[in-house]
Amino acid sequence: MSAKANGLGRWYVIAAPYLWLLIFFLIPFFIVFKLSLSDVATAIPPYTPTFSWSEGIGKFISQLDFENYTFIFGDPLYVNAYLSSVKIAAISTVLTLLVAYPMAYGMARAPKSWQPTLMMLVILPFWTSFLIRIYAWIAILKPEGFLTMFLMKLGIISEPLQIMNTTTAVYIGIVYSYLPFMILPLYASLEKINPALLEAAQDLGSRPWRAFWQITFPLSLPGVFAGCLLVFIPAVGEFVIPDLLGGSDTLMIGKTLWNEFFNNRDWPLASAVAVILLLVLTIPIVLFQRQQQIERESGR
Amino acid sequence: MGVVTARDPQASNASSQRAGPRTAAPQSGFAPWKNPSLSPIVRFEGITKRFDDFVAVNDVTLDIYEKEFFALLGPSGCGKSTLLRMLAGFERPTQGKTIVAGQDITDLPPYQRPVNMMFQSYALFPHMTVEGNIGFGLRQEGMPKNLIAERVDEAMGMLELRQFAKRKPNQLSGGQQQRVALARAIAKKPRIVLLDEPLGALDKKLRQQAQFELMRIQETTGTTFIIVTHDQEEAMTVASRIAVMEKGVLVQVATPGDIYENPKTRYIAGFIGDVNVFEGTVSAIGDGCIEISAKDGYQFKTRSSEPVSVGQQVWLALRPEKIRIAHEQPASAVNAIPGKVEDIGYLGSISHYHVRTAPGERITALRANAAHTVERPISWEDGVWLDWPVDAGVVLTG
Ligand SMILES: Nc1ncnc2c1ncn2[C@@H]1O[C@H](COP(=O)(O)OP(=O)(O)OP(=O)(O)O)[C@@H](O)[C@H]1O
Ligand SMILES: [Mg+2]
Repeated sequence: MSAKANGLGRWYVIAAPYLWLLIFFLIPFFIVFKLSLSDVATAIPPYTPTFSWSEGIGKFISQLDFENYTFIFGDPLYVNAYLSSVKIAAISTVLTLLVAYPMAYGMARAPKSWQPTLMMLVILPFWTSFLIRIYAWIAILKPEGFLTMFLMKLGIISEPLQIMNTTTAVYIGIVYSYLPFMILPLYASLEKINPALLEAAQDLGSRPWRAFWQITFPLSLPGVFAGCLLVFIPAVGEFVIPDLLGGSDTLMIGKTLWNEFFNNRDWPLASAVAVILLLVLTIPIVLFQRQQQIERESGR
Repeated sequence: MGVVTARDPQASNASSQRAGPRTAAPQSGFAPWKNPSLSPIVRFEGITKRFDDFVAVNDVTLDIYEKEFFALLGPSGCGKSTLLRMLAGFERPTQGKTIVAGQDITDLPPYQRPVNMMFQSYALFPHMTVEGNIGFGLRQEGMPKNLIAERVDEAMGMLELRQFAKRKPNQLSGGQQQRVALARAIAKKPRIVLLDEPLGALDKKLRQQAQFELMRIQETTGTTFIIVTHDQEEAMTVASRIAVMEKGVLVQVATPGDIYENPKTRYIAGFIGDVNVFEGTVSAIGDGCIEISAKDGYQFKTRSSEPVSVGQQVWLALRPEKIRIAHEQPASAVNAIPGKVEDIGYLGSISHYHVRTAPGERITALRANAAHTVERPISWEDGVWLDWPVDAGVVLTG
């Protein structure tokens, strides 16, 4: 009796995440995918065909096609937007890693009693709305903004900085916004490293800097991969940061998608853009899982 | 009078059989510390280490000689590891100098010292294979690859690790990990190998096996080993000399036999093996012997190597195996007291007899269970006499 109840309880526990995925990912994805096979129309909703029971499922399916996909691949605008997004996201990820690693390292090496406070400080920006923080960056970066004023006061520059509305501003925005997502997994993996390992390395003749590359860095790789993934994936599809901080030359797929959807009202094409974006993003996820698999097999 | 037993109650019985002097020790003729023409390989000169206000190591001066297997022994928190870590270079002494082979290394960083350490937690690099771990130190020197492979193979052969060469540390058992850690510490052929509780994580049986392995490696490589342990039996088994520490201070440095036979303080007497201690005052001094009036009213006659004066408070320490136990009052014994057997601990070849004396104290005596014993066996509740000669006990003043 109780065993049966237990079995049932276990089944619920296992089913819950799948149910969640089904309702909030698979079904919406299916809707978007179906939409991407439709054609744009001047109607409400602005696409065709719409399913109606009277015409039957066969007719409905026969009207679907991959026209939007061939269009996207044929137009360099879209291909460039994808490539440029991946490039911007990749560069931002590397920059974020470079900024986050010393911070995470410092946190992991700080006295144990400080660590919760430092962690708190890393998470603190989330108390403020993301949008407000990006607007704050506009105030900092614009030509008559705080940064220009500050540097001119110090006499370092004489001309206002031209950072606002450039790709540089987008990098700054992404690095700033996603920094905690990089720091936290890095800190988690650095904090786990037994300090005796570094002592052992030094004892065996390794200078501190070499010991870092031979011991600390390889052992922190799981954190590096996790952090990069957490930054890279949302950065590829980022819309708000390039829209607010970037310029006309900043080409990102998130912005393209927004334009198709809201400005051109081409829902099917926008859907196709989204589906391709999703496929592009599965590549790093698969790579990450392969890496985790290798780690598990080597029994880390 | 009272019985001071070893700190570890479980080990105490077994230890008193084994913890005797190492008469047949392989190094019995080895005593460089007695040779004034030799200079020590390690010299601690007035080493003090303070952590804030806390004095972990207090003014330690100590010489250790080449090829010694030297043990630092003491209870938890007495500063053994701190002293060892100062030699490895992980801690800086607050005061004093560390000299290795005539060179002052007090300010050298760990990576420039001619010592290698085996850590208690082993500290094996989890992302490297057994081979990679053992060869790590050699790679730091920029040694050619084929030479490294040779040396790694040699170390693996010595510790029977060849079949695990390609495994990662977490695919090894505790005993195998311990051997990898040792192999890594000796692979660079350092002049001195430091071992901080190297066998602490092993179970008792594996531990004894590993102790002999340590001794074998130490002898075949001819390296100086300095081991930290809080297990007196382990120190007695492996060491050429033992330094007993208490609260950061060196209390006695001597061979295992000396420490057992002539402990300097009651603390050491009790720490190493079982011992009976009688408290009293010196009542007379003469002809190489002194007389002690024990608190319980007994009069004892004993030799004393310590200079004492009449009226001074002393303790007479007697090892259980130095006390004879018999049914009849011995005819011409110098020191003899009657009592009643309360408890017998049968340990195969020997038995412990716990005897209650008239003033109510418990004394432990030990007797071999030889098959040809003509006397009738001693059993519970028997009235017995305990006696010992003048040279059986040690007079302690502290
Ligand atoms: N980094 C440190 N900061 C403050 N106190 C310390 C530090 N390292 C050691 N101590 C203190 O110094 C004393 C001696 O420590 P040590 O590690 O040398 O003891 P030990 O003899 O090796 O004991 P155990 O057998 O438990 O390992 C302890 O009381 C410890 O609390
Ligand atoms: Mg210790």
